[in-house]
Amino acid sequence: MVASADFDRIEVGEQLPPLSIDITPKLIVGAALASRDYQDVHHDKAAARALGSPDIFMNILTTNGLVGRYVTDWAGSNARLRNVDIRLGAPNFPGDCMTFSGEVVAKDEAEHLLEVELKGSNSLGDHVTGRVRLTL
Amino acid sequence: MSAMLAELQQYVGGRFGPFYSWDAVNAPMIRHWCEAMGDHNPIYTDVEAAREAGHAQRVAPPTMMQAWSMLGYGGERAPGSDTGSAFAVLQLLEEAGYPGVVAVNCEQEYEQYLQEGDQVYYMAELESVSEEKTTALGTGFFCTELSTFYNQRDEVVGRMRFRIFKYRPHPQGERSGS
Repeated sequence: MVASADFDRIEVGEQLPPLSIDITPKLIVGAALASRDYQDVHHDKAAARALGSPDIFMNILTTNGLVGRYVTDWAGSNARLRNVDIRLGAPNFPGDCMTFSGEVVAKDEAEHLLEVELKGSNSLGDHVTGRVRLTL
Repeated sequence: MSAMLAELQQYVGGRFGPFYSWDAVNAPMIRHWCEAMGDHNPIYTDVEAAREAGHAQRVAPPTMMQAWSMLGYGGERAPGSDTGSAFAVLQLLEEAGYPGVVAVNCEQEYEQYLQEGDQVYYMAELESVSEEKTTALGTGFFCTELSTFYNQRDEVVGRMRFRIFKYRPHPQGERSGS
């Protein structure tokens, strides 16, 4: 059982605990296949290089999945995600590490709604920036 | 409005679909996803935990919404799916000399959590094409596809806006702002 965050105790400005994720070939390939994404740039280094990328890189569905996980790791199993809006930046290449950070930026008492602003950064910059809305 | 943009605008609004899923929402695919994502939220794998959290049964991670109707290994759509594409405009841009493509952002909203057994399909449209813009990458157009996902009862499960920039790279050695 994952403990759920207590809505009443959450305040705007609360920081989510950071989460670092090693970007391995196993993660990039495994998560691409788990998301049914067989585009070659997510598993075939030669194909990625032919398109000007130095290596394979993480697909967008995985980024979405990791963003969702980051927020519910913090909010707990009672959370319901309403929106996941992400902007994509620097690719996630094997050998890198992405660290998520996030902050509660809005709280709607009537709707029991929270809004979290987050980013996942790697050695190249921000891989992803975004906002997640959830109810508790 | 340029002649080019006027031509691109003709692609806006047409509705494509349905695009079906190969499989109903199912526990093995959910588990594979959660393993790869490192997601240990028990509502995705444990019936009791899901019920405690107010769900009727185990649910799929909402961010998995798009995965159900992906083409998969064979690169083919599930039987009965539309053969058209809301992003046909990209081919036109390719031929017009805008070969570069980069995903800019992805906005998902969820109306309900998918449960085991749900059959997902989606409808898609080209929601908008921007005026020609110049960014650090080059000059081109922002194209936004709106996909609306449904279950087997034709209820809206969620929506996804996917925006890409289709562009002509700056000539080598030339620098640009923004």
